[in-house]
Amino acid sequence: MSAPLSPGKAVVLERVRKSYGPVEVLRDFSLEITAGSFCTLLGASGSGKTTLLKLIAGFETLDGGAIQIGGRDVSHVPVNRRNIGMVFQNYALFPHMSVRDNVAFGLEMRRVPKAEAAPRITEALAMVGLEGLERRAPRELSGGQQQRVALARALVIRPDILLMDEPLGALDKTLRASLQRQIKQLQARLGVTIIFVTHDQEEALHMSDLIVVLEKGRIEQAGTPQELYRRPANRFVASFLGECNILTLDGTPHGIRPEKLRLGAMASTLPHRREGVVSELTFLGPHLRVTADTAEGPLTALTDADHATACRLGERILLGFSGEDAMPLADSPNATP
Amino acid sequence: MAGGSAGRHLGWAVLPLGVVLAVLFLWPVAQLLGLSFDSPAGPLGHYARILAVPAYRTALATTFQIAALVTLLAVLLAYPLAYLMATVPPRVAKLLTLCVLLPFWTSALVRTTAWIILLQRNGVLNALLTGSGLLEAPVAFVYNLSGVLIGMSHVLMPFVVLPLYGAFRGIDQNLVHAAETLGAGPWALCRRIFLPLTAPGVMAGATIVFMNALGYYITPSLMGGPAQTMVAQLIAFNINQQLDWGLAGALSLAMLLATLAVFFLFQAVFGLERLMGGAHASGRIGTPFALGPRGRSPGGRVMALLGAGVALFLIAPVLVVFPMSLGSSPFLAFPPQNFSLRWYEEFFSRPQWMASVWNSLTVAGIAVAGSTLLGTAAALGLSRLRGPLARLVETAFLLPMIVPHIILAIGLFGMMAPWGLVRGPWALGLAHIVVAAPFVVITVRAALRGVDPNLELAALGLGAGWFTMFRRVLLPGILPGIASGAVFAFITSFDDVVLALFLTNVRSRTLPKLMYEGVAHEINPTITAVAALIVLFTVLVLLLNLLLQRRAR
Repeated sequence: MSAPLSPGKAVVLERVRKSYGPVEVLRDFSLEITAGSFCTLLGASGSGKTTLLKLIAGFETLDGGAIQIGGRDVSHVPVNRRNIGMVFQNYALFPHMSVRDNVAFGLEMRRVPKAEAAPRITEALAMVGLEGLERRAPRELSGGQQQRVALARALVIRPDILLMDEPLGALDKTLRASLQRQIKQLQARLGVTIIFVTHDQEEALHMSDLIVVLEKGRIEQAGTPQELYRRPANRFVASFLGECNILTLDGTPHGIRPEKLRLGAMASTLPHRREGVVSELTFLGPHLRVTADTAEGPLTALTDADHATACRLGERILLGFSGEDAMPLADSPNATP
Repeated sequence: MAGGSAGRHLGWAVLPLGVVLAVLFLWPVAQLLGLSFDSPAGPLGHYARILAVPAYRTALATTFQIAALVTLLAVLLAYPLAYLMATVPPRVAKLLTLCVLLPFWTSALVRTTAWIILLQRNGVLNALLTGSGLLEAPVAFVYNLSGVLIGMSHVLMPFVVLPLYGAFRGIDQNLVHAAETLGAGPWALCRRIFLPLTAPGVMAGATIVFMNALGYYITPSLMGGPAQTMVAQLIAFNINQQLDWGLAGALSLAMLLATLAVFFLFQAVFGLERLMGGAHASGRIGTPFALGPRGRSPGGRVMALLGAGVALFLIAPVLVVFPMSLGSSPFLAFPPQNFSLRWYEEFFSRPQWMASVWNSLTVAGIAVAGSTLLGTAAALGLSRLRGPLARLVETAFLLPMIVPHIILAIGLFGMMAPWGLVRGPWALGLAHIVVAAPFVVITVRAALRGVDPNLELAALGLGAGWFTMFRRVLLPGILPGIASGAVFAFITSFDDVVLALFLTNVRSRTLPKLMYEGVAHEINPTITAVAALIVLFTVLVLLLNLLLQRRAR
């Protein structure tokens, strides 16, 4: 297929400020997203991720700072002139229009001639695998199909960036995984910059080039999924992305992932060891999850299910890890006022 | 359904209301219509006369014209107001809702009185316009077409505003956002998103307005001139003056067929649910649409300004009766020169006014008791019926809301007058049961839908008998619905004029009928005091209803 879309644009947020009444949601928030990357804003509700997305889209106005898209300052540009694609959690398909008319809407608004629009609409629908459903009404489609229409509708206008607000939140697990792959493939092919909002850390790990972990309107850490998982900057990130044991090493807090903890005989050769009593055993198929109460509180280890025989509830057990697996954790910027 | 024999046979509970409607609604209306085929000139003699006499032909055409104009006006005025209501902060929206609901629930007669005070040659509007030099001589706003249009669209507009407001509120904020990101500006949003998504709500409202307008009697007879004579007036004229029941029956059938045609057309296209208030598209998640942070577009500002004007149009007549009623002069002047409670004293000291209040309350008591009992039972029964039977029964129960009151009034008059029932409260009380019961059926049905059927099953599963379950589980759940049905029934009865005109006499006449007689001759200031008291009373009843609903939640 010929590249139907303009390549993605970079997004720069400069000291962005936003308050709702007395509540300051974002204060001097700065972030750079490179052109063509898949950036995920990850955070719990109230972390400011949705506000950030609304500001980039233009649904909300800035109290201060600036937003640039592809070098253009859009801080005061109204929504309808920002050339942004947006996909919503509840799809937001126009209920009174057919699938085709939904996709055609953005082209009509741009006064694209019919002769040019028709092949673009067909192409966009083919891209998301919805050929043949053009005449259906949105309510006649499944959730996954509706979300793919929304994707086609957002992409057909060749947006500078694509914003996605928890787009897979309403779908079941299998469908979500398949759509995650489709979105990744589409992005790789089209090169569009995607800003993706989610509270689902697994989704963030699977899809992103850049993950920005947000809490209380501030960046806890920004980096690739590998960086965030292997070198979390602080306690918050360590326990927000994946499971993490926190213990003290040389007087400072360190994180250790459950899969890096060794048990029993395998632990005895390792430099750092703790002793505990097995308090919980969970069989996860390929793995066994073992929680032991130690002097430093409960520690959780993930081990091969074959070791199951070695652990029994209530028995004393040795846990060990090597120094390079211990991740030093700084204080979170939100930890102290 | 589970639940013992009482639960299994609950469907029969529709029967009492069914019988009452058969005897007090279908039978008298059928009688009247039957008379229309009984003429010395053959079965179609009366119809031939309607077509032959120009006055009748003109009245038929006028009726349709006025109904169409009123519907158009109501829709045009409702849009800016509903838009304004949907885009202001909740507090202001509540205030605007009050501006819509207060006139909606205030007696048609109070509103008509107020309009005449405002619009007549020496009325408030002319006083303001000539006083400020905008007009040199007073203009005739009333007793002509403009009077009828103003009066009727004021009375009927809430039927469009409310579903339209619901439709606006039903629009998901994300739909608007989606359209904006795709490049839609204010005008495209309005044309491509708002208009099509609110159209079903408008259609529902417009249908109700048109059906109602076809059978209107009070407003055209009090605010129109001879050129605005509508069919309902001709029907009344043939009964009162000509004693020509056959011709009245023929005119009634013509009007009824037109009304029913509109009703069934709507039902076929949109379904009954929509007409009865379910204007929202169901099952959408998301927040209702609100104004963006950039405020209104220039077009939006014009709309909002128009909306505020329409709100004033709705509420002004209801408010103007207060200062007018406090004047001391026997002639209505605006603004009143001296304030006094003279006309209130007059009202409370005159036996004829007090007797009419008592009559009104007695009739309303009969109407509320009867319609609440029958309507609740019918709603319970309806919830157990399925399939085409349920549809048929439901439509039959709603018919009294659709058939013009003038037809029912005359039909019942023909049936009850020979028995002397109009001498007491019973003729009117029974008639009000017929017209009020549908409100109760609707509100209780809505409440029943809100009760989780699993609760019922759980109670039965825990060993409760059907009646225990009903008393302990179902009844508390639907009580707010019953209460609000009773309030609507009360207001319906207390405000009615058309049925009262025919079904009471000098001794049994109700307050609105006495007012009507006054307004039809000359408005004396006592009537403004009565109007003010009725408005206050309506506010109290509505507040009571609001309180009941709030406590239920």
